[in-house]
Amino acid sequence: MTSNDTHRRAVLGTAAAVAAGWALTGCGDGGRDAPREREKGQRINLTFWSWVPGIDKPVGLWNRTHPEVQVTVEKVSAVNGQQYAKMHAAIKAGNPPDLGQIEFPVVPGFLLDNGLLDLAPLGAARHKNKFSGWQWQQSVFGKGIYAIPQASGPMGLFVRQDLFDRWDVGIPRTWDDYEAAAEAVRKKGAWIETFAPTNGNRFAGLCWQAGAEWYAHDGDTWIVHIDDEPSRKVADYWESLVRRKLVKTIPDRQNAWYKDLQTGAIAAWVGASWGDALLIGNAPGTKGGWRAAPLPQWQAGGQAYANWGGSTTAVFAKASYPKDALDFAVWLNTDPESIALLIDGGYGFPSAKKGYATGDLDLDKDFFGGQAYSKVFADAGAHVDTSWRWGPGVDTLYQRLGDAFTEALGDGGSFRSVLKKVQGQTVSDLKGKGLKVESGG
Amino acid sequence: MSRDTLSRPAPAARQRPRRASRTEARNARAAACFVLPFFALFGLCFLAPIGYAVHQSLRRTERTGPLGLGGQEHDVFAGLANYAHALADDRFLTGFGRVLLFGAVQIPLMIVLATALALLLESASARGVTFFRSAFFLPYGVPGVIASILWGFLYVPGISPLVKIADVAGWDVDFLARGTVLWSIANIVTWQFTGYTMLVLIAQLKSVPEELYEAARIDGANAWQVARHVKLPLIRPALVLTTVFSIIGTLQLFAEPMVLRPLASSIDSGFTPNLHAYSEAFVGNNQHVAAAEAVLLALVACVLSFGFLRLVGRRGEDRG
Repeated sequence: MTSNDTHRRAVLGTAAAVAAGWALTGCGDGGRDAPREREKGQRINLTFWSWVPGIDKPVGLWNRTHPEVQVTVEKVSAVNGQQYAKMHAAIKAGNPPDLGQIEFPVVPGFLLDNGLLDLAPLGAARHKNKFSGWQWQQSVFGKGIYAIPQASGPMGLFVRQDLFDRWDVGIPRTWDDYEAAAEAVRKKGAWIETFAPTNGNRFAGLCWQAGAEWYAHDGDTWIVHIDDEPSRKVADYWESLVRRKLVKTIPDRQNAWYKDLQTGAIAAWVGASWGDALLIGNAPGTKGGWRAAPLPQWQAGGQAYANWGGSTTAVFAKASYPKDALDFAVWLNTDPESIALLIDGGYGFPSAKKGYATGDLDLDKDFFGGQAYSKVFADAGAHVDTSWRWGPGVDTLYQRLGDAFTEALGDGGSFRSVLKKVQGQTVSDLKGKGLKVESGG
Repeated sequence: MSRDTLSRPAPAARQRPRRASRTEARNARAAACFVLPFFALFGLCFLAPIGYAVHQSLRRTERTGPLGLGGQEHDVFAGLANYAHALADDRFLTGFGRVLLFGAVQIPLMIVLATALALLLESASARGVTFFRSAFFLPYGVPGVIASILWGFLYVPGISPLVKIADVAGWDVDFLARGTVLWSIANIVTWQFTGYTMLVLIAQLKSVPEELYEAARIDGANAWQVARHVKLPLIRPALVLTTVFSIIGTLQLFAEPMVLRPLASSIDSGFTPNLHAYSEAFVGNNQHVAAAEAVLLALVACVLSFGFLRLVGRRGEDRG
């Protein structure tokens, strides 16, 4: 592309030498600072860090159909956010991969690190209409577009219908029903659920449903609003369940929790659409007993829903061939065949508008007693409050929430005081990162 | 000393001095060849990381750009601000208190246990010594992370056979509760390192000349008296050494709480100072604060280790 390279190519001549020449350029320009454009016919290799179990399949399809742009998947651990620790460390060390799987909430955190490439100058905006609008907006900041949405996780309620029937407990439609159901289930010696104190992600979703808005911005200033009225309502509600011993407080999605699911000691789960794969995989013996129901509402007949999780394919700031990386990210998340393969992996609700039907999302209908359960999540997804935005430092926020809830459970502090504390900590965390921050009223 | 002898020329031969100095130079070169790799490695693996950590701990990041995102960022000198930040964090200090309490209980317990095992295995009437020595040492061969996963299964209610047995016996135990989890971790550490400590003590016991025991026996000492008045004083250096190792190891406590954390709601992100620094660096992305915390941790380890050495050194002098 530059005259220097052309000259070198002319001198070296052979194909092998060209490869060597490119390798030299790679070393010489100090950590791939200058983004490059692929020449016609040139073969390149991109690396992609992901933790999605079935991701190899769509990537394999891409590699078969795009011989010139080969993508290598490197699996990263998703336990305790280790994948992000690794990505941040790689950014700091100057050797991040070309692409990475990044959840919606942590996109601003990576921007803070200057870790992601602004895809707008590459013309990413022309793909906007292929995706569900609010999910596209999750990685748009100012004029920059920083990631291609992949999937979302509308929340709902998984219930052991067989147990509820045997105990004569109705499926809760409202949070009041849910509390009554928790009491009834407890009387039968089981638990309706666990309030996992370290799961900030789910707690955020529940606040989102109640109408909270934790982050906003005004000009260049971030406004943090964790200790708001809707969040207090959610905190009070769960504190009451915990204090009355109507819910467990063990961590979710860990061995003890899976064991409780397998034995029916826990009979429900406020989860997200991708939770079907977790249940099917970890409690195979309960097949047929489960159903999915809409998330309980604060007001009878309401339609307030929220999102838990959901991820994007992001191009890292130092990607060697940004344009090809963007093409791959868009293909991965819009190509119907790719989406079909991703759905098989059980990774969640595609962000792409077209290319799949709700029925495709039912991983294993029999596990849910023949219910077309994805319809429940599709309805929830259509009613998610789309004004929710994430801010920088969400990893830290989750950790702060987890620590504060853990402490409150231990010493009897109120859940409201948790919100107050985390609000203050988050404001000072962001200030510590050199941002302009204000505490929302 | 050797330098002096070499460089002193023999007065008789005129050729000798030059040859000697050539030998001297060659020797110096040879010495340098042997010593340089050590200093290179020492500098690369020890001094450089410490220097880098200190450097990082004195800086902070400034950001520009809309909302502070996607703009320029550069590091500026921050003085001791990161240290102030770390020391103002009560969870960081609580973590220190926690590992000190941990060490105050776990280290003596383990040293006593290891000494008892070492003395028993080295007593004249011990049977199957090789087998038991290997058996006690075996847990040390298990990496800390694996050991924690293993014990994790024995701690988690619903899966643990121990909890189940206790439950049948009408005893309600929760190994991962707020008040007990620290001691559950102490159990893992003790299980892992007692055998190792025991082996160090046995090595020293082996170096005690047999004549000393003979003399003690001739003087009419029984097995207990031999252990108490001959063996224990003689393995004192090994006891001091293993205690210092344990002090440093305790302050660095990381793998066990890290692995148990997802299983136990009672372990927070600042459970130990090392875990706190890890969280700052890799969750909060505040490498500068994490560096300051690491330097503080190293300082405390230094003070405690040397403090302990001085303490036992002085007591040794008093006795001697």
